[in-house]
Amino acid sequence: MLQRFLDPSVLGSISGLELVARTVVDGFIAGMHRSPDFGFSQEFAEYRAYSEGDDLRHVDWNVYARTERAYLKRYRGETNTQITILLDVSASMKYGSQSVNKMDYARFLAAAICYMSNQQRDAAGIIVFDDEVKNYVQPSTRQGQLARLLHAIEKAEPGRRTNFEKPLLHCLQFLHRRGIIVLISDFYEDPEKVIKAVEPLRFHGNEVILFHILDPQELRPKLNDPVLVLDMETDDAMEVTPDYVRHEYGSKIDAHVSAMSDRAQRAGLDYYLLNTGRPLDDALREYLTIRQGRR
Amino acid sequence: MGFLAPWFLGGLFVIGLPVFLHLLQQHRSVPLPFSSLMFFEKRTQSSVKHRRLKYLLLFAMRVALIALLALAFANPFVNRAAAGGTDGRKFILIAVDNSFSMRADDHLNQAKQQAASVLSSFGGADVGQVITFDAQISQLTQPVNSAAELRTAVQSIKQGDGRSAYTTIAQYVKSLAQSTPRGVEVHIFSDMQNSSLPPAFAELSVPGNARYILHSVSSGNAEPNWFVESVNAPRSVYQAKKTRILAVVAGTNTEETVADVSMVLNGKTLETKKVKLAPNGRATVEFFLPDAAYGLNRGEIRIASHDKLPGDDHMYFSLDRKEPGRILFVHEGRQRWGAFYYRAALNSGADAGLNTDDVTVDQTSGLSPEKYSFVVLSDVGTIPATFEQALQRYVQGGGSVLIALGPVAAIHPRVPVFDAAITETRYSDRSGDRFQTAASVDAGHPALSRTNGFEGVKFYQTVKVDPGQARVLARLTDRTPLILEKKIGEGRALVFTSTFDNISNDLPLHASFVPFVEQSASYLSGIDQTAADFAVDSYVDLHSAKDQGAAVEVVDPDGKRPLSLREAASAQTLKLSREGFWELRRANGRHELLAVHADRRESDLTPVPKGTLELWENLGQGQQKTNGPNGAVEQKQPVSLWWYFVLALLIVSLAESLFGSRYLVVEKQAMVRKEAA
Repeated sequence: MLQRFLDPSVLGSISGLELVARTVVDGFIAGMHRSPDFGFSQEFAEYRAYSEGDDLRHVDWNVYARTERAYLKRYRGETNTQITILLDVSASMKYGSQSVNKMDYARFLAAAICYMSNQQRDAAGIIVFDDEVKNYVQPSTRQGQLARLLHAIEKAEPGRRTNFEKPLLHCLQFLHRRGIIVLISDFYEDPEKVIKAVEPLRFHGNEVILFHILDPQELRPKLNDPVLVLDMETDDAMEVTPDYVRHEYGSKIDAHVSAMSDRAQRAGLDYYLLNTGRPLDDALREYLTIRQGRR
Repeated sequence: MGFLAPWFLGGLFVIGLPVFLHLLQQHRSVPLPFSSLMFFEKRTQSSVKHRRLKYLLLFAMRVALIALLALAFANPFVNRAAAGGTDGRKFILIAVDNSFSMRADDHLNQAKQQAASVLSSFGGADVGQVITFDAQISQLTQPVNSAAELRTAVQSIKQGDGRSAYTTIAQYVKSLAQSTPRGVEVHIFSDMQNSSLPPAFAELSVPGNARYILHSVSSGNAEPNWFVESVNAPRSVYQAKKTRILAVVAGTNTEETVADVSMVLNGKTLETKKVKLAPNGRATVEFFLPDAAYGLNRGEIRIASHDKLPGDDHMYFSLDRKEPGRILFVHEGRQRWGAFYYRAALNSGADAGLNTDDVTVDQTSGLSPEKYSFVVLSDVGTIPATFEQALQRYVQGGGSVLIALGPVAAIHPRVPVFDAAITETRYSDRSGDRFQTAASVDAGHPALSRTNGFEGVKFYQTVKVDPGQARVLARLTDRTPLILEKKIGEGRALVFTSTFDNISNDLPLHASFVPFVEQSASYLSGIDQTAADFAVDSYVDLHSAKDQGAAVEVVDPDGKRPLSLREAASAQTLKLSREGFWELRRANGRHELLAVHADRRESDLTPVPKGTLELWENLGQGQQKTNGPNGAVEQKQPVSLWWYFVLALLIVSLAESLFGSRYLVVEKQAMVRKEAA
């Protein structure tokens, strides 16, 4: 029953990103066990030997009294990761052959991740970019962080062209703490270049997840007549025949997706293709299942 | 199948328009926004391959629409056997010319015999009709299939005096051919006068299912004929003096000759003159009629000839000898010049039939104006009340009055009888140039038609009258009314805002004075000076506005009364259908004698040239003759398919509208979807 409402077009008709996120995530949680990565923060995790520079407030003095060794008591909450969402708002994200375009879908996805992080007391932040950083919300677990994130997501409007290098370089400056970086984009760029731009994040010990958002029409376009195709980012036009679309385009986009996936895998990045024609929670569930199985 | 206007087929080129709209125009490169061109490659498809016809049904309808339109204008037809041509059923129209010229050489009887012989081949399935024609058609029978009835009708044809016109028969055949599905055979029995042909030969054309068969009763030669062309005689004579009568005699196809021309009055030959006539020429003969007897006289001018048409060797005229009418001329005692000039003008012209009785204002008290033709008030001041009242009654009852206004009349505030206010009097010095002239004169009015606009007349003194409801017939240069007319009761009054002497103006010294006096007198007295001769088939008015409902007695040339009592009381006009003297006794007691003669165009016995006759027989629009399978002549006529094409055009245009609007909705929805995308 709930699934019916999670259709992208239904989500698009729901006003308010928080409500959308809650709808998605609640449905997801209701169907899943707790994720080890996004555990509850008050749960005891481990003892670790004190090393120089550790905060004395976290030393378990009871253990010290018994063993005369200083141990730090760690909770799951303290193992919470920092999640940074990189949301591509380039002009190409505006494309959509259905009621929900790629931008909306990406917004829902970002909002769902933010909501989920908030539920798990994870520090979530967001960087909105096209060819430069448009907005940045620092990861935090403070009160009202979810509202700030959702506001930033809400405000994100498709802009100009995509350039991964500049915003990711910027991102590196902001990220002092290792965590999870979620990059949401349509990746209309050479996979080599994308991975090259993203790889530095991984080198810092971050876990990087690439969500590749594509419209069904982008995967398998349907053309009946020759048409003049206009690039939404560059405004370049090109006459395209149905024959080409039918026989050649599909293999090219498949090759691109495949290259993205391969290159990401080789670089130790998580890659997941999201078709905007597919229910969001369904896609998320599938992704998390795969991710769980991978660990 | 053929086309009556094949050049309209050029419109088929317009079919290119829907082809363009559907094949070429439909290929619009509406840019399709897409995320990226990264995976696209430029490909140009062959112009033929990608340009597919869209909306095939709509395209087909549009092509059909244009094709049908062009075809409808091209007026397609198919040849179909004529209705009477295949099954042998015919409509035989026997048209016999009984015009005046058929009197020549017993032509009418010959025509009747020929018509009877044509009727001998009348089949049992045929329908026939007998008509006579001159300038009009007379149906002697209805369409019947009885040969005996048709023969009887032919035998009953009588000679007429009208003028033949072949256009009338063509018009009749046109209406007949349209009303009958049969083939119509038009047998015309006539002397084939050339003068009866219409100016445009095409007027003789008839529909395809009719054809002419001409039966000429003339010898084919141009027969010589002498005739009296016209007679100019006065209608009325008032004085015991010789009356001048002019006659014109003429000849057609004639040699030079000397003919005796006689004037006959009441059956008695009064004078005969020898007249030399040039070949095909005409001559004028002048007769002076001695003192005619009182009453209506029947005159006649005759030419002695031995031609084949004796009916036009004479022409009638009527002459009414009667006492002249009287005019009551009222003037002031000391102003006699007006009466002098008026009487002099009246007597100087032709025999006007009017005398004047001059009286001063003082002498009018016991006078009754009823016995006068009309009354003239020449610049009178105060007139006796009894006379003014009698004058008003006289005018109300149908009499007329002419009022001249001068310095005496201007003293009073109103014009007597005419009842119009005198607003101003204008004087001008004779020595200076401050006189007025006539500026606008109604030359179409019967009282002013020959006055030449009072050219050169100087008006020194005029009385300005408020015209009110009166009609202004003439004005001076300062827009002052000069002559006014008003209808009062059954009568009428004319006002001349100056005088008849040469003091207030110099009109009596100008040439326009006499015509003005004569014409105004004739107009006011109601004397009709037009000649009393008419052509056959002319019409005369029987009743005037005053005597509606009163019976008019009409006696025709045979001495019979052609009108019933009811007709005599109600008929407005009378057609003078025969040559001779017609007598009319009108409701007001007036007795008239009308001389009626045949139209002299009938006297020209020149026949239609042979070649023209052949052309005439071959008339019949689009008629074709082909040889049938058995060798018989089969007639075909074109049947237009125009209506069928127009009907198809309507249906296709309706369907096109329906489908077009449906596709329009689809296009709109597609556009909305695109915009939404």
